[in-house]
Amino acid sequence: MKTCTKAEKTFLCMCLVLFCLLGTFSAEVHSKKLNVVTTTADLASIARFVAGPYAIVTSICSGKEDPHFLQAKPSYIVSARDADLWIRVGMDLEVGWEPAVIEGARNAAIKEGSIGHLDASEKVLRLYAPTTSLTRAMGDVHPYGNPHYWLDPLNGRIVAGAIAERLARLDPSHAEEYESRLNEFRERLDARMFGEDLVREVGGAGLWAWQVRGELGERLDARGLSPQGGSWWADTRMFRGVHIITYHKSWVYFCNRFGLIAAAELEPKPGIPPSGSHLNEVINNMKARKVRLILQEPFYSTKAAELVAERTGAEVVVVANSVGGEPEADEYLSLMDLIVERVRNVLK
Amino acid sequence: MLCRILLCSSLVCALLVCPDFSWAQPQTAVPEQVGQMQEQIDELRKQMETQRMFYENRMEQLQKQLDALSRTAEKEVRPERELEAAIAGQKAPEPAAERGGLSTVGRAIRSLNPQISVVVDTFYYADDVDHGINEAVFEQMAGFRAIGGEDHGEDGVPEAHTHESSGHEHGFDEGFNLREVELFFGADVDPYFSAYTTVGVSDDGAELEEAVVRTTSLPYGFQFLGGKFLSRFGRINQQHPHQWDFTDQPLIYQLTLGDHGLLEKGVQASWLAPTPFHLLAGVEILQGENELTFNQLDGDHLPDREGPRLGVGWLKFSPNLPRKHGLQAGLFGAFGYHQEAHDENADGEEDLRLDGHSCFAGVDLVYKYDSDRAYGFGDFLVQGEYFYRVRDLDVEDSELDPDLIGRTRKDTQDGFYLQALYGFRPRYRAGLRLDMVGLTNDVELPDGDKPDYGSSWRLTSMIDLTPTEFSRIRLQGAYGDYRLIDGMQDVWQIFVQLLVAFGTHGAHKF
Repeated sequence: MKTCTKAEKTFLCMCLVLFCLLGTFSAEVHSKKLNVVTTTADLASIARFVAGPYAIVTSICSGKEDPHFLQAKPSYIVSARDADLWIRVGMDLEVGWEPAVIEGARNAAIKEGSIGHLDASEKVLRLYAPTTSLTRAMGDVHPYGNPHYWLDPLNGRIVAGAIAERLARLDPSHAEEYESRLNEFRERLDARMFGEDLVREVGGAGLWAWQVRGELGERLDARGLSPQGGSWWADTRMFRGVHIITYHKSWVYFCNRFGLIAAAELEPKPGIPPSGSHLNEVINNMKARKVRLILQEPFYSTKAAELVAERTGAEVVVVANSVGGEPEADEYLSLMDLIVERVRNVLK
Repeated sequence: MLCRILLCSSLVCALLVCPDFSWAQPQTAVPEQVGQMQEQIDELRKQMETQRMFYENRMEQLQKQLDALSRTAEKEVRPERELEAAIAGQKAPEPAAERGGLSTVGRAIRSLNPQISVVVDTFYYADDVDHGINEAVFEQMAGFRAIGGEDHGEDGVPEAHTHESSGHEHGFDEGFNLREVELFFGADVDPYFSAYTTVGVSDDGAELEEAVVRTTSLPYGFQFLGGKFLSRFGRINQQHPHQWDFTDQPLIYQLTLGDHGLLEKGVQASWLAPTPFHLLAGVEILQGENELTFNQLDGDHLPDREGPRLGVGWLKFSPNLPRKHGLQAGLFGAFGYHQEAHDENADGEEDLRLDGHSCFAGVDLVYKYDSDRAYGFGDFLVQGEYFYRVRDLDVEDSELDPDLIGRTRKDTQDGFYLQALYGFRPRYRAGLRLDMVGLTNDVELPDGDKPDYGSSWRLTSMIDLTPTEFSRIRLQGAYGDYRLIDGMQDVWQIFVQLLVAFGTHGAHKF
């Protein structure tokens, strides 16, 4: 039997020690929380619900800026460098700065196409996907459709699912927890949308399916159930068919879900500030359709809206379209609460 | 359940089969007993019948309950699928490619093509100088471009000596200029590299500006870059002219590095430090072919140095500031070999050849404030760079005065620029820039003379309108007082510039 030389023994001991160290190190790594970085605060809010204590979630935009025109700062590169999962809204919303940030971060894990890069728009219900060829003469057009999809709570529900799925792939040890937190988030969202009682009776997904098909009213009547006051759906029934004006085409998803019709925008074309001649057209349009509401985000000037409101008797509602845009909109569900409340106050 | 039924049935059967149910029964009259037994049997049959019906009903009820339970279990899974189907039903049908629409397959195929964009950079220019601004002013800048030789004029003032021909410099023509049409092609090459190239097309033909290959997946924050590229030191040097905030570049760079700045073939290694703030360090090894500061000439009497001949190093630091603020500070330095050849007696032939090295160093700073308002209203920027350069050359050959051979010519110049921009209206910006060069402007001539030429300055103001991020119109005016080799000269300049970009959207760096 061969006996080990002293050198061999020392080498083996070192290997053992190294192995133990690596073991503890990798154990440490595995028990570290996931570092999730999102481009907007809305995605961060949803990701926080789903990930819970198992991830640290930060957002590049704070909700007060327009994510179209964000200036890429070196501090964003530092956030991206340390991220395990990068989530973006997609549909070219962040195309002006996201590639520069990801390239500068030198983080191969979050490169587009890898498992650490999630485009949250994959399964959402898209609106305004162009069916004809585009030119920039149309203004700042988005070739994949209108990207402001988080303002439809159904899309919030879908995005939560996409995030939970990706978190489970990145961190399979907590897959069950992500799933149960996803279901919790969905239950809360459904309860806000339809009311707790209806959700208990019929089930959230079923209610959504009927709402999407436009049959919700009839189906509830058939079962002898009535809309629950305080829920978004019940409180916005009066919105059906009402025309409003918005500053930018950023409210189409909210309008689509709650039955409002965006008759025109103050911008003559996307990305072009309001001009006198266009505003005159808008005023005529508003008078013809008896529009009472002009809706816009806080980062646009209210000059044009106020001018138009004065001439038509409509009211200007400035409300954040993103979590963090106003102090009351501190998370996704309260953002939707805030928008519904502000619009309702004018239209009732 | 079944067992109970069986048990009950067997009991009942037992009851039927075993007539000796009660053990002690006296033998009574036989016909009465038969009649009683018949009644009992009928009774039992009726009871069995009711019990059978009872158990059948019971079984039906239990079956119904079982069915109901399995239905509720399905109810939880089916609605989510039902919802997905409802959503799918709402989605617009895929537009057919033939209608000119953007089907997903078509888009996917096209996305493998490189991003292509074109920038057209044109301007109208006027100044109050007799000849071209390059010839009359920039090439005559004392110390920087024109250094007085031994010949002194009658009044003791050194005569101007025409410097090396700068055939490469385009300069500005009075009237309409097409500076260039810049074509940009960029794409991911494969999982390891990305590449881009910019080609400048002008009246003089197409000129390769940058051709860069970058690594994309190195660990620990490293990146290697190679090809032909603008050195990443400072702020202005790495920007293409259409990215500048003024139509022309700062005076210090025009005079020390020329029209294209430090544009070299070579490699760069950079490292993003794992610090909680942004810290980027870079080292470049470059060929060294800059006419004004790192030149290599073919010629007799001059040593033949193989490339690479130039090294550049830089550091960029950016602290984490509150939301609307951004700041980056940088430090840089370079060292390389340099050769020059001059025509001292203006006879069209070079007679003085020098060889040695040059080095430069400097700092850069930029601060940006991003107001939350739309269209750049209220945005503010301050940027400045200080640049210090030394050229330390030995005379290798001097046809006019062989005594100079072996002596040194050492010149030191510096300069800075400071610019500020403010978005005073939506889509409009106003800017002001101060250029000062030659605060240090010393030359130690080979013949022992040590002229100190003094400084020049220029003040530029501009207003630009950016109708969308793809077009820009700029009006710029400048006044400067320049120290030329034969005295001071003041110059007025005016630019009206139009910039347009089309093609795929590119992302903007800080």
